[in-house]
Amino acid sequence: MASDRHITTDTRSMMWVMATLAIAMSLQLTRMPAWLLLIAIAPFMWRIAAELNRWQPMPATWRFSALGVALLVLVLSFGNVFGRSAAVSLLTVMLAMKLLETYRIRDARVVVSFSLFLCATQFLFGQGVLMPLYGAAVVATALIALAHLHRREAFGARRPVPALGRSIYAELGFSLRILALALPAAVALFLLFPRWSSPLWGVPESSLDARTGLSDTMEPGSIQQLFIDDSPAFRVNFRGPIPRQEELYWRGPVLWDYNGRQWETSFWSRNIEARQRPSPGNAEYRYTVQLEPNERKWLFALDYPTVVPNDTRLTMDYQLLRKTSVTQLLRYEIASDPDFVDSPQLSEVLRNSALQIPQGLNSRTQELVSGWRRMIDEDMALAERVLRHFNEEQFHYTLEAPLLGLNAVDDFLFRTRAGYCEHYASAFTVMMRMAGIPARVVTGYQGGWYNEFGNYLLVRQSDAHAWSEIWLEGGGWTRVDPTAAVSPLRVQQGSLGALSEPRHMLDFGWLRELRNGFDVLQRSWNDWVIDFGAAEQSQLFAPLGLRRIDAKGLMAVLFGVIAVLSLLLMPLILRTQGPMRRSPLQGVWLRFLRRLGRVGVASRPSMGARTVACEASARLPDQADEIQRIARLYNDFRYSPSPPGFRDLKQAIKHFKPRKPAKTRTWT
Amino acid sequence: MVSVATASSQRFSPGRRFDRWLLERIRRRRGVTDLPRTFEYRHIFVLPTLFGVGFGVVLAMTVTGGLNFNNNMALLMAFTLVSISLMTMFLAYRNQVGISVIGIAADPVFAGERAIFQVLMRNQESRSRYAVCVKWSTAASHAAAGSGDCRDFSPEETLKLRLEQIARRRGYMTMEPLVVENRFPLGLFKAWSVIIPNVQCLVYPPPAPNAPPLPRTGRGDHGAAHKGEGEHFHALREYRPGDPLKRVAWRASARHQKLYSREMETPREEACEFNWYLTGGTSSEEKLSILTAWVLRAEHHQIPYSLEMPTVALPPGLGQEHRDACLKILALYEG
Repeated sequence: MASDRHITTDTRSMMWVMATLAIAMSLQLTRMPAWLLLIAIAPFMWRIAAELNRWQPMPATWRFSALGVALLVLVLSFGNVFGRSAAVSLLTVMLAMKLLETYRIRDARVVVSFSLFLCATQFLFGQGVLMPLYGAAVVATALIALAHLHRREAFGARRPVPALGRSIYAELGFSLRILALALPAAVALFLLFPRWSSPLWGVPESSLDARTGLSDTMEPGSIQQLFIDDSPAFRVNFRGPIPRQEELYWRGPVLWDYNGRQWETSFWSRNIEARQRPSPGNAEYRYTVQLEPNERKWLFALDYPTVVPNDTRLTMDYQLLRKTSVTQLLRYEIASDPDFVDSPQLSEVLRNSALQIPQGLNSRTQELVSGWRRMIDEDMALAERVLRHFNEEQFHYTLEAPLLGLNAVDDFLFRTRAGYCEHYASAFTVMMRMAGIPARVVTGYQGGWYNEFGNYLLVRQSDAHAWSEIWLEGGGWTRVDPTAAVSPLRVQQGSLGALSEPRHMLDFGWLRELRNGFDVLQRSWNDWVIDFGAAEQSQLFAPLGLRRIDAKGLMAVLFGVIAVLSLLLMPLILRTQGPMRRSPLQGVWLRFLRRLGRVGVASRPSMGARTVACEASARLPDQADEIQRIARLYNDFRYSPSPPGFRDLKQAIKHFKPRKPAKTRTWT
Repeated sequence: MVSVATASSQRFSPGRRFDRWLLERIRRRRGVTDLPRTFEYRHIFVLPTLFGVGFGVVLAMTVTGGLNFNNNMALLMAFTLVSISLMTMFLAYRNQVGISVIGIAADPVFAGERAIFQVLMRNQESRSRYAVCVKWSTAASHAAAGSGDCRDFSPEETLKLRLEQIARRRGYMTMEPLVVENRFPLGLFKAWSVIIPNVQCLVYPPPAPNAPPLPRTGRGDHGAAHKGEGEHFHALREYRPGDPLKRVAWRASARHQKLYSREMETPREEACEFNWYLTGGTSSEEKLSILTAWVLRAEHHQIPYSLEMPTVALPPGLGQEHRDACLKILALYEG
């Protein structure tokens, strides 16, 4: 059965196998460290050179040494091989190395099969609207490679394999035709194959290594890093009123603990749930968020969420924390009440936590704040004094913030005076705490770009922002955005409007416009394809009045659809054409022969027109003239350099009605 | 007819066991295949190949992962591949249906050589067929040799494909069961049809490698030589008036004081007589081998030969037809 065991590959099929693997691993290469990248590409180079120069296969010792080096580099660059990125890199490198020993059809087929698997793993990293192109390219190349390997296997090693098509286009056409034929059944399987409502095994936290977006710590530069990232963070669909741009503060991690350099989330906020929830009846804004997978646990919402999505809790500082990381597109409904008062009473523990600052640092700032405190009694007024300081002195809102020393706040306030939102939020919060006002840093996103065409708000990673909250007697936690004091444009027009300098080399206005327009496509793709799951599947037939459909029902429908598709395709696939039925000329001639056959004049395929005519004339002497004429017309039409009209022949045959000869004749 | 069990075939091999079971079943129910045979749906089996099964396992892995993580892109790709794979099952069938095996023939060979069976096949339809192969059934005996033959068929094309079978013994050798198979387009499924041919190849006895020289005992029809003319020296005789001067043997005449002239002759046609009882061989197979070798040698030297067997005799003759007739008698001799 396994007749491919001993047949070796040829250059042509090997090139297609390598093309399949190259396309499949192209995306993973962008996620691999440079050294590993070289190691993954080197086997291709060697193999191509070996094919072109007819080198001998590499000795086994060399191959194993190369593999050893590759694994070593892999472990050194990733630390372990259990992370997702590391595991897929391992698969990539192993497949590339496999090229060194792929000389038999069977090995080549293993490479192609696992290239397809590798392609599937790439969708764990992203399922953007352009990914189908990547998938289609891999599948199409793999089909061609498999077709070549099949021919090599069939024709064996001895005989040169006849070309499959005249050119590469014919080969591509061949695989696209198979793809097109298979697509209806594939769509039916996709829609109707029962999905699992909960996974059999989860994604281990430790395997997630491609985190994007905000983290649970903040230090100078951490948000600035996000600013050059234009990928979407989430999209929001408002039902009802849309808040003004200045109100769009999307709450993320709330940071309490400061060590002089870094802000961190607090133990309390992670573990205590909100005691009071805003009532959903008061919610002013109702909206749906489609969160891109970021492998973190925060769900983003406007202040203050009145509804808590499934598997999520509302912490005491009103963060939405999910039980597990968001590893795939997540859609949740939410409503917000901006007028809710957060913590009218502040417990002693939390107050202390919100006042804590590292001792012995930033003495100049302490002096400045103490001065103001002596003059100003009211907390809000003091906060406004600080904001005025930011506004009136020469502070700059810029991406190019100089490095800060040990006394970071002192450095920032008196020396550098330039920074990004996290610098301002951090400095402001520290100053508030110095003045004895409970304060904390809130990170999240601010603003968003309203897509008129798709009617939704798109929030990108570059919209990441940090602001402060201070606790006021009677007013509870109150939002203060020091960045707005320095650069009001940041809040009014979004992060891009506030900066005069371009973020990177390809930062053009028109390109941004294009990307914003393109996002509509991405969103529809998310809505219709990526977001499809068990819940959507059970509602599939809701428009037909079928409220819920279970796995059994789905299977029944699936088999029904496959059966119908098969019935439609069957004639196309299984139709057998008789020979000699290709031209209209042959069509009418066969009709003539059939008519003759009916009166007992048999003809064989080996008989030419003239022979048939002679035999028929002999048996039907009454119609000999007519028969001879038809045969002459047929021959003329077929062979004469100036053929007569086809119509004459057609008419002649149409009017030809053979009459059975009299029974008295003895030729039967 | 059932394959010879040897050490290597007794190893557990499900594919081979299945093929053997299938072959026996077909043989019982349908007997030998009548040629020409045009393949219809009831003649064609389709099953996944080993690679097809492996590919299915990879796809199952992908689908399971996709379902677990509800990764729709991975599912979309895996399902596309699933339906492509299933599609190729029909394509393999379609590539086979409507192919005809018109006839099979083999030229006679000597025992120990490989008989080449020519399988005449025709694509009956006006579409191309790709990589259609003839192979020995894996249930065939070990005489079945070589890896088979494979061709692309243009519309309505007729082609000859070759299969080799080792001829071990003289006589009529029956062709082993064969399959017409294709794995178009990707090698995931194979569609095959079994043919149990009722075709024989005539196997001549093996020519003896060191046969005794040809028995040149000419007689009968080819008559005596003509004396007087010719180029070969025959004898000396006394000079008679009228003998040409160049025939006078001057040296002999000088010695004997008498005129002699050389008598010349045209050699009469030699003929060999191959007789069963006069070969010098001990066993009958050895005798047959010697006779075969003589026939070939006589044919090579263009010496007419006759054959006399205990049961039948052929008059002297020369040429392909005579040779084949003699060899056929030797091949089929039973004694």
